[in-house]
Amino acid sequence: MIKKAFSFVFLLAAASIAVAQTPPPSPTPAKAPPAAPHTNLKVGQAAPDFTLPSTIVGADGRGVRYKLSDFKGKKNVVLAFYVFAFTGG
Amino acid sequence: MKAYQADIAKFDSTDTQVFGVSVDSPYANREFAKQLGLTFPLLSDFQKRSVVKDYGIFNEEGGYGNRATFVIDKDGIIQHIDEGNVAIDPTAAEDTCNILSHKKTTTP
Repeated sequence: MIKKAFSFVFLLAAASIAVAQTPPPSPTPAKAPPAAPHTNLKVGQAAPDFTLPSTIVGADGRGVRYKLSDFKGKKNVVLAFYVFAFTGG
Repeated sequence: MKAYQADIAKFDSTDTQVFGVSVDSPYANREFAKQLGLTFPLLSDFQKRSVVKDYGIFNEEGGYGNRATFVIDKDGIIQHIDEGNVAIDPTAAEDTCNILSHKKTTTP
């Protein structure tokens, strides 16, 4: 009788441990698409300077390079970044 | 880029230089400019991708710059930013240039 009660307690304990160890059902995490990089530049900040080759061909037959800071005090500049040539937009 | 070309006269009238910028080579860009009949320069950030990185729009996975438009005034200060698909429409950039053209520059 004592043995039976003992094994009953044991079973109960084992069962409660099993329940405790069962992880709560967690919602399957939706796989987020990789976030598009966003600029950390803000309005009011100085635009990073650069010099880049362009599509414009100079009188010497060589491609003209443009330097952003050359436009300081002369013109506003719009930089329209596009993803790839031959794509829309 | 087509939309910018269509409105290039508006940008010219506000004393604004328009540049298209991508990571394509100048050769690819020349073909692209010819196809679209672009009169403004396209810049090639094809060697180090340093400009798209500096402007914080470099897409590491794709190896290209995301779509974005920056308007920079005569003092070299950023006055307007469009990111993503809204940057296809040059209207907001035009409006900014319009306001800027009525403002006096502080650079001598």
